Amino acid sequence: MDVGERLTDQNFPESPEKATLEGKNKFLGFWLFLGGETVLFATLFGTYLGLRNSFGKGPEASEIFQLPMVFAATIILLTSSLTSVYAVLALKENRVKQMRRWFFITLLLGLSFLGLEIYEFVEYVHEGHTFTSGAFGSAFYTLVGFHGGHVLFGCLWITALLVRNSGRGLTLYNAPKYYLFALYWHFVDVVWVFIFTVVYLMGKVG
Amino acid sequence: MASNEQPNSVHHHSSLQKKIKLKQERRQHNVSFVMMILLTIVAFAAIASDAISNSVAILFIIVLAGVQVFFQLYIWMHLGHKGHEFPMWGIASGLLIALITVGTLVGLIW
Repeated sequence: MDVGERLTDQNFPESPEKATLEGKNKFLGFWLFLGGETVLFATLFGTYLGLRNSFGKGPEASEIFQLPMVFAATIILLTSSLTSVYAVLALKENRVKQMRRWFFITLLLGLSFLGLEIYEFVEYVHEGHTFTSGAFGSAFYTLVGFHGGHVLFGCLWITALLVRNSGRGLTLYNAPKYYLFALYWHFVDVVWVFIFTVVYLMGKVG
Repeated sequence: MASNEQPNSVHHHSSLQKKIKLKQERRQHNVSFVMMILLTIVAFAAIASDAISNSVAILFIIVLAGVQVFFQLYIWMHLGHKGHEFPMWGIASGLLIALITVGTLVGLIW
Protein backbone atom coordinates (compact mmCIF):
# COMPACT_ATOMS: atom_id res chain seq x y z
CA MET A 1 0.00 0.00 0.00
CA ASP A 2 1.25 3.46 -0.87
CA VAL A 3 1.98 5.59 2.20
CA GLY A 4 0.03 8.50 0.73
CA GLU A 5 -3.07 6.43 0.08
CA ARG A 6 -6.12 7.34 2.11
CA LEU A 7 -6.83 4.65 4.71
CA THR A 8 -10.23 3.01 4.63
CA ASP A 9 -11.99 1.07 7.36
CA GLN A 10 -11.14 -2.13 5.47
CA ASN A 11 -7.36 -1.70 5.19
CA PHE A 12 -6.88 0.24 8.43
CA PRO A 13 -3.92 -1.27 10.35
CA GLU A 14 -4.03 -1.82 14.08
CA SER A 15 -1.41 0.85 14.78
CA PRO A 16 -1.29 3.20 11.76
CA GLU A 17 1.44 5.23 13.49
CA LYS A 18 3.76 2.20 13.47
CA ALA A 19 2.71 0.46 10.26
CA THR A 20 5.68 1.68 8.20
CA LEU A 21 9.41 1.58 8.89
CA GLU A 22 9.47 5.37 8.90
CA GLY A 23 6.62 5.43 11.40
CA LYS A 24 8.41 2.91 13.64
CA ASN A 25 11.62 4.93 13.51
CA LYS A 26 9.84 8.17 14.30
CA PHE A 27 8.02 6.54 17.19
CA LEU A 28 11.20 5.19 18.78
CA GLY A 29 13.22 8.31 18.01
CA PHE A 30 10.59 10.52 19.55
CA TRP A 31 10.53 8.56 22.79
CA LEU A 32 14.33 8.82 23.00
CA PHE A 33 13.99 12.56 22.36
CA LEU A 34 11.53 12.78 25.24
CA GLY A 35 14.08 10.99 27.45
CA GLY A 36 16.56 13.73 26.51
CA GLU A 37 13.99 16.45 27.15
CA THR A 38 13.49 15.01 30.62
CA VAL A 39 17.17 15.61 31.34
CA LEU A 40 17.01 19.12 29.86
CA PHE A 41 14.19 20.06 32.20
CA ALA A 42 15.97 18.32 35.08
CA THR A 43 18.90 20.74 34.73
CA LEU A 44 16.48 23.68 34.93
CA PHE A 45 14.58 22.18 37.87
CA GLY A 46 17.82 21.43 39.73
CA THR A 47 19.07 24.98 39.23
CA TYR A 48 15.72 26.42 40.30
CA LEU A 49 15.62 24.27 43.45
CA GLY A 50 19.08 25.47 44.41
CA LEU A 51 18.33 29.15 43.81
CA ARG A 52 14.69 29.40 44.75
CA ASN A 53 15.31 31.26 47.99
CA SER A 54 17.87 33.73 46.61
CA PHE A 55 15.38 36.52 45.98
CA GLY A 56 17.90 39.37 45.61
CA LYS A 57 16.14 42.68 45.03
CA GLY A 58 12.88 41.06 43.96
CA PRO A 59 9.85 40.06 46.03
CA GLU A 60 9.60 36.66 47.72
CA ALA A 61 7.95 33.76 45.95
CA SER A 62 5.16 33.38 48.51
CA GLU A 63 4.22 37.06 48.09
CA ILE A 64 3.71 37.03 44.34
CA PHE A 65 2.40 33.57 43.41
CA GLN A 66 -1.36 33.53 42.88
CA LEU A 67 -2.61 29.96 43.41
CA PRO A 68 -6.08 30.41 41.78
CA MET A 69 -4.46 31.44 38.50
CA VAL A 70 -1.96 28.58 38.65
CA PHE A 71 -4.80 26.18 39.40
CA ALA A 72 -6.74 27.43 36.37
CA ALA A 73 -3.67 27.02 34.15
CA THR A 74 -3.17 23.48 35.49
CA ILE A 75 -6.75 22.46 34.74
CA ILE A 76 -6.57 24.00 31.23
CA LEU A 77 -3.40 22.06 30.39
CA LEU A 78 -4.71 18.83 31.92
CA THR A 79 -7.92 19.12 29.89
CA SER A 80 -5.94 19.77 26.73
CA SER A 81 -4.00 16.58 27.43
CA LEU A 82 -7.34 14.73 27.61
CA THR A 83 -8.58 16.23 24.35
CA SER A 84 -5.39 15.13 22.59
CA VAL A 85 -5.96 11.61 23.94
CA TYR A 86 -9.48 11.72 22.46
CA ALA A 87 -7.92 12.80 19.18
CA VAL A 88 -5.63 9.74 19.23
CA LEU A 89 -8.63 7.49 19.96
CA ALA A 90 -10.42 9.00 16.95
CA LEU A 91 -7.25 8.42 14.91
CA LYS A 92 -7.35 4.73 15.82
CA GLU A 93 -10.99 4.59 14.69
CA ASN A 94 -10.14 6.32 11.38
CA ARG A 95 -12.52 9.20 12.17
CA VAL A 96 -10.49 11.99 10.74
CA LYS A 97 -12.97 14.84 11.24
CA GLN A 98 -13.43 13.99 14.88
CA MET A 99 -9.68 13.71 15.33
CA ARG A 100 -9.08 17.12 13.77
CA ARG A 101 -11.80 18.64 15.95
CA TRP A 102 -10.20 17.30 19.13
CA PHE A 103 -6.76 18.53 18.04
CA PHE A 104 -8.26 21.94 17.29
CA ILE A 105 -9.73 22.10 20.81
CA THR A 106 -6.29 21.07 22.14
CA LEU A 107 -4.79 23.98 20.23
CA LEU A 108 -7.33 26.46 21.65
CA LEU A 109 -6.66 25.23 25.20
CA GLY A 110 -2.92 25.51 24.59
CA LEU A 111 -3.32 29.08 23.41
CA SER A 112 -5.44 30.02 26.43
CA PHE A 113 -2.76 28.53 28.69
CA LEU A 114 -0.17 30.70 26.94
CA GLY A 115 -2.38 33.79 27.30
CA LEU A 116 -2.72 33.14 31.02
CA GLU A 117 1.04 32.69 31.38
CA ILE A 118 1.83 35.91 29.53
CA TYR A 119 -0.66 37.79 31.72
CA GLU A 120 0.97 36.24 34.80
CA PHE A 121 4.50 37.25 33.72
CA VAL A 122 3.39 40.83 33.01
CA GLU A 123 1.87 41.03 36.51
CA TYR A 124 5.09 39.73 38.07
CA VAL A 125 7.26 42.22 36.21
CA HIS A 126 5.04 45.03 37.53
CA GLU A 127 5.63 43.73 41.04
CA GLY A 128 9.41 43.79 40.57
CA HIS A 129 9.91 40.07 39.92
CA THR A 130 12.02 40.16 36.74
CA PHE A 131 14.69 38.08 35.06
CA THR A 132 17.42 40.23 36.62
CA SER A 133 15.89 40.93 40.05
CA GLY A 134 17.75 38.01 41.62
CA ALA A 135 18.84 34.41 41.13
CA PHE A 136 15.28 33.32 41.93
CA GLY A 137 13.95 35.49 39.09
CA SER A 138 16.48 34.16 36.58
CA ALA A 139 15.85 30.53 37.51
CA PHE A 140 12.08 31.02 37.55
CA TYR A 141 11.79 32.65 34.13
CA THR A 142 14.25 30.19 32.57
CA LEU A 143 12.36 27.15 33.83
CA VAL A 144 8.76 28.34 33.42
CA GLY A 145 9.61 30.21 30.22
CA PHE A 146 11.21 27.11 28.72
CA HIS A 147 8.03 25.21 29.44
CA GLY A 148 5.94 28.02 27.94
CA GLY A 149 8.21 27.89 24.90
CA HIS A 150 7.40 24.20 24.56
CA VAL A 151 3.68 24.98 24.70
CA LEU A 152 4.14 27.64 22.02
CA PHE A 153 6.09 25.22 19.85
CA GLY A 154 3.34 22.62 20.29
CA CYS A 155 0.70 25.15 19.21
CA LEU A 156 2.70 25.97 16.06
CA TRP A 157 3.28 22.28 15.40
CA ILE A 158 -0.39 21.25 15.54
CA THR A 159 -1.41 24.33 13.54
CA ALA A 160 1.03 23.31 10.80
CA LEU A 161 -0.23 19.70 10.89
CA LEU A 162 -3.89 20.72 10.70
CA VAL A 163 -3.31 23.23 7.90
CA ARG A 164 -1.05 20.95 5.86
CA ASN A 165 -3.44 18.00 6.11
CA SER A 166 -6.73 19.88 5.78
CA GLY A 167 -9.03 18.05 3.42
CA ARG A 168 -6.86 14.94 3.57
CA GLY A 169 -7.80 11.67 5.15
CA LEU A 170 -5.54 9.63 7.35
CA THR A 171 -2.63 7.99 5.56
CA LEU A 172 0.31 5.93 6.74
CA TYR A 173 2.32 9.08 6.08
CA ASN A 174 0.46 11.53 8.32
CA ALA A 175 -0.80 9.18 11.06
CA PRO A 176 2.65 9.02 12.80
CA LYS A 177 2.84 12.81 12.69
CA TYR A 178 -0.46 13.28 14.49
CA TYR A 179 0.39 10.54 16.98
CA LEU A 180 3.78 12.03 17.88
CA PHE A 181 2.26 15.44 18.44
CA ALA A 182 -0.07 13.90 21.03
CA LEU A 183 2.93 12.27 22.77
CA TYR A 184 4.71 15.63 22.85
CA TRP A 185 1.67 17.35 24.25
CA HIS A 186 1.36 14.82 27.09
CA PHE A 187 5.03 15.31 27.87
CA VAL A 188 4.55 19.07 28.10
CA ASP A 189 1.74 18.42 30.59
CA VAL A 190 4.00 16.07 32.60
CA VAL A 191 6.56 18.87 32.94
CA TRP A 192 3.82 21.25 34.07
CA VAL A 193 2.79 18.84 36.84
CA PHE A 194 6.28 19.30 38.30
CA ILE A 195 6.27 23.05 37.71
CA PHE A 196 3.05 23.60 39.63
CA THR A 197 4.28 21.29 42.38
CA VAL A 198 7.91 22.37 42.73
CA VAL A 199 7.70 26.02 41.70
CA TYR A 200 4.27 27.28 42.74
CA LEU A 201 3.09 25.05 45.58
CA MET A 202 6.53 24.72 47.21
CA GLY A 203 7.12 28.44 46.65
CA LYS A 204 3.96 29.20 48.58
CA VAL A 205 5.15 27.39 51.72
CA GLY A 206 8.83 28.30 51.42
CA MET B 1 -2.91 -4.69 0.63
CA ALA B 2 -3.60 -6.91 -2.33
CA SER B 3 -3.64 -10.12 -0.30
CA ASN B 4 -6.39 -8.93 2.00
CA GLU B 5 -8.81 -11.77 1.34
CA GLN B 6 -10.16 -12.41 4.80
CA PRO B 7 -13.67 -13.80 4.93
CA ASN B 8 -16.14 -11.08 5.82
CA SER B 9 -17.21 -12.64 9.10
CA VAL B 10 -13.65 -12.71 10.39
CA HIS B 11 -13.24 -9.07 9.52
CA HIS B 12 -16.41 -8.15 11.37
CA HIS B 13 -15.33 -10.19 14.34
CA SER B 14 -11.93 -8.50 14.63
CA SER B 15 -13.42 -5.05 14.13
CA LEU B 16 -15.87 -5.74 16.94
CA GLN B 17 -12.99 -6.78 19.20
CA LYS B 18 -11.17 -3.61 18.25
CA LYS B 19 -14.24 -1.54 19.09
CA ILE B 20 -14.52 -3.13 22.52
CA LYS B 21 -10.81 -2.52 23.13
CA LEU B 22 -11.09 1.13 22.17
CA LYS B 23 -14.16 1.56 24.34
CA GLN B 24 -12.26 0.16 27.33
CA GLU B 25 -9.37 2.46 26.52
CA ARG B 26 -11.69 5.47 26.42
CA ARG B 27 -13.03 4.58 29.84
CA GLN B 28 -9.47 4.24 31.18
CA HIS B 29 -8.62 7.67 29.81
CA ASN B 30 -11.68 9.22 31.44
CA VAL B 31 -10.92 7.59 34.78
CA SER B 32 -7.33 8.79 34.73
CA PHE B 33 -8.48 12.31 33.85
CA VAL B 34 -10.78 12.39 36.89
CA MET B 35 -8.00 10.93 39.04
CA MET B 36 -5.52 13.58 37.91
CA ILE B 37 -7.99 16.39 38.58
CA LEU B 38 -8.54 14.97 42.07
CA LEU B 39 -4.78 14.64 42.69
CA THR B 40 -4.32 18.26 41.60
CA ILE B 41 -7.06 19.48 43.92
CA VAL B 42 -5.62 17.46 46.83
CA ALA B 43 -2.15 18.91 46.18
CA PHE B 44 -3.43 22.50 46.16
CA ALA B 45 -5.56 21.84 49.26
CA ALA B 46 -2.59 20.33 51.14
CA ILE B 47 -0.63 23.54 50.61
CA ALA B 48 -3.56 25.89 51.30
CA SER B 49 -4.52 24.16 54.54
CA ASP B 50 -2.77 24.99 57.80
CA ALA B 51 -3.51 21.59 59.30
CA ILE B 52 -0.52 19.92 57.60
CA SER B 53 3.02 21.04 58.43
CA ASN B 54 4.94 22.46 55.49
CA SER B 55 7.63 19.80 55.24
CA VAL B 56 5.07 17.00 55.27
CA ALA B 57 2.96 18.84 52.69
CA ILE B 58 5.97 19.23 50.36
CA LEU B 59 6.81 15.54 50.56
CA PHE B 60 3.15 14.69 50.03
CA ILE B 61 2.68 16.83 46.89
CA ILE B 62 5.88 15.46 45.33
CA VAL B 63 4.49 11.94 45.77
CA LEU B 64 1.20 13.11 44.19
CA ALA B 65 3.15 14.53 41.22
CA GLY B 66 4.84 11.14 40.82
CA VAL B 67 1.46 9.42 40.68
CA GLN B 68 0.25 11.88 38.02
CA VAL B 69 3.33 11.16 35.91
CA PHE B 70 2.50 7.47 36.11
CA PHE B 71 -1.01 8.14 34.78
CA GLN B 72 0.29 10.29 31.94
CA LEU B 73 3.04 7.92 30.84
CA TYR B 74 1.26 4.61 31.30
CA ILE B 75 -2.28 5.42 30.31
CA TRP B 76 -2.30 8.54 28.14
CA MET B 77 1.02 7.90 26.41
CA HIS B 78 0.35 4.12 26.24
CA LEU B 79 3.75 3.20 27.70
CA GLY B 80 2.19 0.06 29.17
CA HIS B 81 1.01 -1.23 25.77
CA LYS B 82 2.97 -3.88 23.95
CA GLY B 83 5.71 -2.70 21.60
CA HIS B 84 6.91 -0.07 24.07
CA GLU B 85 10.00 -1.89 25.38
CA PHE B 86 12.57 0.40 23.77
CA PRO B 87 10.63 3.60 24.53
CA MET B 88 10.53 2.38 28.12
CA TRP B 89 14.33 2.15 28.16
CA GLY B 90 14.62 5.62 26.63
CA ILE B 91 12.34 7.34 29.09
CA ALA B 92 13.59 5.30 32.08
CA SER B 93 17.23 6.22 31.43
CA GLY B 94 16.10 9.83 30.92
CA LEU B 95 14.37 9.79 34.29
CA LEU B 96 17.41 8.23 35.98
CA ILE B 97 19.80 10.87 34.62
CA ALA B 98 17.21 13.53 35.47
CA LEU B 99 17.11 12.40 39.08
CA ILE B 100 20.93 12.39 39.34
CA THR B 101 21.05 15.83 37.69
CA VAL B 102 18.55 17.39 40.08
CA GLY B 103 20.28 15.82 43.09
CA THR B 104 23.70 17.00 41.97
CA LEU B 105 22.66 20.55 41.12
CA VAL B 106 20.73 21.04 44.33
CA GLY B 107 23.64 19.59 46.28
CA LEU B 108 26.16 21.84 44.52
CA ILE B 109 24.25 25.09 44.97
CA TRP B 110 23.13 24.38 48.53
